[in-house]
Amino acid sequence: MNAPDADVVLAADGLVKRYPGTVALDGMSVTVRRHEILGLVGENGAGKSTLLKSFVGLVRPDHGRLLVRGAPVALRGVQHANALGIAMVYQEQSLVPNLTVAENILLGSEGRSVRGGWYRWKPLFAAAQRHLDRLQIDVDAAARTDTLTFAQRQMVEIAKAMAIEERTQAEPVILLDEPTSVLEAQEVERLFEHVRHLRERASVVFVSHRLDEVLALSDRVHVLRGGRSVAEVNPQQADVAELHSLLVGHASPDSHYHLEQQDDAVPTQRRLVVSGLATTTRTAVSFSAAPGEVVALAGVEGSGREAVARGIFGDAARTVTLTLDGKTVALRNPRRASRHGIGFVPAERRTDGMIAPLSVAENMSLSHVREFCRGPFVDVRAERKAVRRWVDRLGIKTPGLSTPIGALSGGNQQKVTLARWLLSPDLRVLVLDHPTRGLDVGAKSEVYRLIRDLAAQGCTVILIADTLEEAIAMSHRVLVLKDGEIRAEIPAPADHKPAPVDIVRAMV
Amino acid sequence: MSTLLEHPEHPDGRAETDAHETGSRVRRWRRQTIRFMPIVVFVVLLLAISSQVPGMLTTRSLLTMADSAAPLVALSIGATLVILCGAIDLSTAALASLSSVLLALWIPSMGAWAAIVVILVAGAAGALQGVVYVVFKVPSFVVTLGGMALWSGLALVFSNAGSLPVSDLDALSWGSGKMGGLVPHSVVVTGLVVALVIVAMLLTPFGRSVRAIGYGESAARLAGLPVGAVKIAALTLSGMTSGLAGALLVAQTFSGSSTLAGGLLLPSLAAIVIGGTAITGGFGGLMRTVVGVLIIVLLRSGLGLIGLDPGVEPVLYGVLIIGAISLTIDRSRLAVLK
Repeated sequence: MNAPDADVVLAADGLVKRYPGTVALDGMSVTVRRHEILGLVGENGAGKSTLLKSFVGLVRPDHGRLLVRGAPVALRGVQHANALGIAMVYQEQSLVPNLTVAENILLGSEGRSVRGGWYRWKPLFAAAQRHLDRLQIDVDAAARTDTLTFAQRQMVEIAKAMAIEERTQAEPVILLDEPTSVLEAQEVERLFEHVRHLRERASVVFVSHRLDEVLALSDRVHVLRGGRSVAEVNPQQADVAELHSLLVGHASPDSHYHLEQQDDAVPTQRRLVVSGLATTTRTAVSFSAAPGEVVALAGVEGSGREAVARGIFGDAARTVTLTLDGKTVALRNPRRASRHGIGFVPAERRTDGMIAPLSVAENMSLSHVREFCRGPFVDVRAERKAVRRWVDRLGIKTPGLSTPIGALSGGNQQKVTLARWLLSPDLRVLVLDHPTRGLDVGAKSEVYRLIRDLAAQGCTVILIADTLEEAIAMSHRVLVLKDGEIRAEIPAPADHKPAPVDIVRAMV
Repeated sequence: MSTLLEHPEHPDGRAETDAHETGSRVRRWRRQTIRFMPIVVFVVLLLAISSQVPGMLTTRSLLTMADSAAPLVALSIGATLVILCGAIDLSTAALASLSSVLLALWIPSMGAWAAIVVILVAGAAGALQGVVYVVFKVPSFVVTLGGMALWSGLALVFSNAGSLPVSDLDALSWGSGKMGGLVPHSVVVTGLVVALVIVAMLLTPFGRSVRAIGYGESAARLAGLPVGAVKIAALTLSGMTSGLAGALLVAQTFSGSSTLAGGLLLPSLAAIVIGGTAITGGFGGLMRTVVGVLIIVLLRSGLGLIGLDPGVEPVLYGVLIIGAISLTIDRSRLAVLK
């Protein structure tokens, strides 16, 4: 950023954002130029959403600069970002359903449509309709928002974002966060037309999990990994496979995944039989897994893999019925599942996985504190002895067993939450939802070894991996989910791992 | 606007929007304040008042103070448990009043056993509220607000809106007598209950669960803890301690009435939060509540000393509750403030 580029309207320069245990942005530098569509791709945890949030002032970086049209800026919040011409179209829609389209578009920027605190409906509708027409969006400004289809509401969101034009002299920057994730094919095409149209009056940042879409729409693509931009790609000269290999990074040495420990001779008996597990109201999945088998669930966000993982742990709206070692069990809630020897490590470690103010020992024994009870009381000495054993065995770095788990690094926190299930006297199935999210390379490798050890001891592991590469390397079998159904089942023996491209084909 | 992003503090005071930005120094200071302030305040108040009243620091007058504090302590113990779970119980005072009425009605037939029965009945009332809260997923605030109206209504009906005197004084000696002619039984009984609950909180799986649920219900549920059962148990215990508070009030006044404990809800909540227990759950403890109650009791007598109208008491509680909560609330966990 030394030579100020007149064309650059928005730039992140070496942004750093740390959360306890994870680094979300690690020197992120990205530029957005005038009248361009910039594509951002990255796996979960690559820093996409943190970057977008810092562009609209929802996240304040610890270090680094944000430049709006060449001037360094410390954004105070969404209003401030809007005033500078930056607006975001959120993945979860942010329209108020029981208001008219016009009210939603002009919410907060009514201008002359409000006089003395009262709406003047005619100018309000007229102004909103003008915004819609300019974007060639075929929606009535007077319609109630909840009568629109999802795709129409998305268009209204875009019109709403563009409405900030009125308040700024400069052309706006519109951030689109996963706008296509729930759209049908033709709707996506129409959205793209609008976005291309938008380019004539604005700059657009487009974030999507679907790499083909990013290549089709963008003028330039930044590939994000590990909280920084690792490559800038010209979409004309790249294909999905190339983009994907940039996304997951260079293949790590096999030792990283402890491949030599993968035992492909899994027994034929069935530990877990899932049949008709609902992923959405209309779709369901069925599969089975053997003792000692690692089954990876692959799929884009919204493919239903989270619903499968949570379902096996009894965390669903309705009671889930599974067959476990030949016995039918009804899992009304997670407690039942844990009683039956099923464990779960959730993706959101900080809110779902651990209880930050409680100690390492209390967190580790949380699920099995009854094992350490003598009469009505917890035998703290026995508890500490067991916890100490796992702390030593897993090499958990902690100042002490009474240290609040929140004070540890992310990798050590994760090891404690994993050990919670290892304390179980009878762990039969362990469900891991993004167990290596936000961990550094060394910690990842240790989590992988733990998974291998568990499998070797006969525990069935259901894995939602952080990356496709991880899913392939760690599993015996990859189940590819799309739209709530299993679309492909791809074996992944140690000596014959499938290529990521084969799986991506089934995913998208 | 041309400042670098090196300094995340913001001049417009909106720094709370992103909790991770809050300076750790400020946070540490606040935590230490919350930890020791209640005790400091208690000691300062005690010294200040005793400098005005010469006989204040004698064993006898301190025990008298403890005696008058006992019902409020009992009431606040259970309420603290519920708050530690991240819920709230607004029905405590009403349930205590109802218990006092039931006790006065039942002593003629049951004698001293009536107190035990009343405590069990109050526990059942608390359990009922817990079931509505957990099973029917009605917010605890709403359930216990409704419960408050329900129990005081029942108390009114059973007592015919009057005071019910108790003539069988022997049946109340467990709470009205004095050990060795010095230590009031009410203080002994309440002390035992406090000790019992503290031990349970420290050493049983139940205590662990209460804390875990208060700090992170989602994580506690996904660890397989019996979240619903623990919450019902907390509300049941809160009902039982409300019953005990009602019984202690009867032992002190030798009568039961539908308004006997009516004024105790606000001071009880004030005591819990100025003790330093976070209204959002997890952080806090029972000893804190005991200290909080003692502060409230001292403040009351202090107000009388400086000749203030007792009518300003609620004003004081209101200010204390808001002030203490603003210090102890964990804003990082509030997505939306309702």
